[in-house]
Amino acid sequence: MQPHTSAIFTFFAIISFLLHPLMSNPASAQEKSPESFQMLSETETEEDTEDEEFDDGFEDEFENAEEEIFDPLSGYNSVMTEFNDGFYVYVLDPVARGYRWIMPDPARRGVKNFFHNLLFPIRFVNNALQLKPKNSGEEFLRFIINSTVGIFGIWDPAKEWFGLEAHEEDFGQTLGYYGVGGGFHIVLPFLGPSNLRDMFSLYPDMQMDPVYYVENRPYNFPRKEGEYLGLSRQTIQQTNLLLLKTVNRESLRIGQYENLKKDAIELYPFLRDVYEQNRAKLIEE
Amino acid sequence: MQAYLKYIAGRFLIFILMLCFTSSAPLADEVSEIRAMTKEKVDIVINILKDKSLSKNEKKEGILETIDGLFDFSLMARLSLGKKHWKSLSKAKRKEFSELFVERLKLSYLEKLDLYTDEEVVVDEARLTKKNRVEVLTYLVTKDDKKEMIYKLYKTKKKGWRVYDVDVLGVSIVQTYRSQFSGVLKKETMEQLMERMRSAGELGA
Repeated sequence: MQPHTSAIFTFFAIISFLLHPLMSNPASAQEKSPESFQMLSETETEEDTEDEEFDDGFEDEFENAEEEIFDPLSGYNSVMTEFNDGFYVYVLDPVARGYRWIMPDPARRGVKNFFHNLLFPIRFVNNALQLKPKNSGEEFLRFIINSTVGIFGIWDPAKEWFGLEAHEEDFGQTLGYYGVGGGFHIVLPFLGPSNLRDMFSLYPDMQMDPVYYVENRPYNFPRKEGEYLGLSRQTIQQTNLLLLKTVNRESLRIGQYENLKKDAIELYPFLRDVYEQNRAKLIEE
Repeated sequence: MQAYLKYIAGRFLIFILMLCFTSSAPLADEVSEIRAMTKEKVDIVINILKDKSLSKNEKKEGILETIDGLFDFSLMARLSLGKKHWKSLSKAKRKEFSELFVERLKLSYLEKLDLYTDEEVVVDEARLTKKNRVEVLTYLVTKDDKKEMIYKLYKTKKKGWRVYDVDVLGVSIVQTYRSQFSGVLKKETMEQLMERMRSAGELGA
């Protein structure tokens, strides 16, 4: 009896030792599998395995770079990217820097919040369309609080006191939510990277942007209708607001574009990629 | 006798099962450890940035030293170039490319930190995405907004967990380089690409 029991004991002891490394930690078990073995080897040491093989697990995580991206407008897009880049570097950025120098920081923040608050309808409607009633409700509360307590939206007490964060959604994201693909990439003049879907989505969003509903005010600039280049007063007033909005926005993120650009080997494909990846992420949320 | 043997066998089965359960528990611990490690490194970098007594060079060195223990830069180089192109290179060329790329990546990281003002970095949850992959979610919080940054780590054989990619606002650094490299290599040779990287590095420095 005695030898019998000890034989069983040994048997189980051996089994458990054999099974233990396999069952205990899936990660270490994974390392033992042949295809991931080479990739996981540390690379800083000058090992022979270092350069040999690619782990397919990693390759699958990233898009196949060999696949051709459907980009029929690539020629135009490259040129427009260069144009936008030049416009930013030589016009918008210097103007924004000057503006930053004149306007104190809290004022610029106030202007930004004011315009952001005005865009409430876009966020409200698109959250609702994406069946996110909670977000829509929060947006509604934010608008009420910030327009009153926050004095026309120049402060953001909804976030600071009540912890209500904005939920950025636009019509492009709504379409994406319902499975509409981006279509090919289009670089818009001044506005920058976009795609077929997002370009057409600008229109419905514009309909909800109060800046486009500025009324003719006789006491405002310009004094007479058609005084400058035959443009209507309304157009000029709208443009002024858009300029203020744009310059103000850029003044709060000076240096970021230049910084981003440094990761580019070729500007257009880089910006296209960044845009598309970012949009995909925003739609997914 | 028979009953006794059964009893012993039953006990061993339970023992083995327990072994399995107790040793899979550290995996959950490991994830929180990875989160803690990432947080520690990020905090060190932030503290270096905030430290006014350090010169710009000292800051740079301190930061690079810290992130060297967190990032697997050479893996990032390989992933960015992609399997096909990497395999087509000779060993010397691979090394050269890797060095150029890592240099560039570090430079770009340091330049991003130059924009650092008053941001707060919040290290959120870490999650196990695959057996040997963990994502650590972090937020860069400024007065106006919150930027999401995800550190993606994998388990190395010898050096524990290392970062192989970072997603900033959904934009993967490795993916972005990957498509750029493959785009350039469709039109140009590897030599031309490396030349570009060299000159870009000089411009940035």
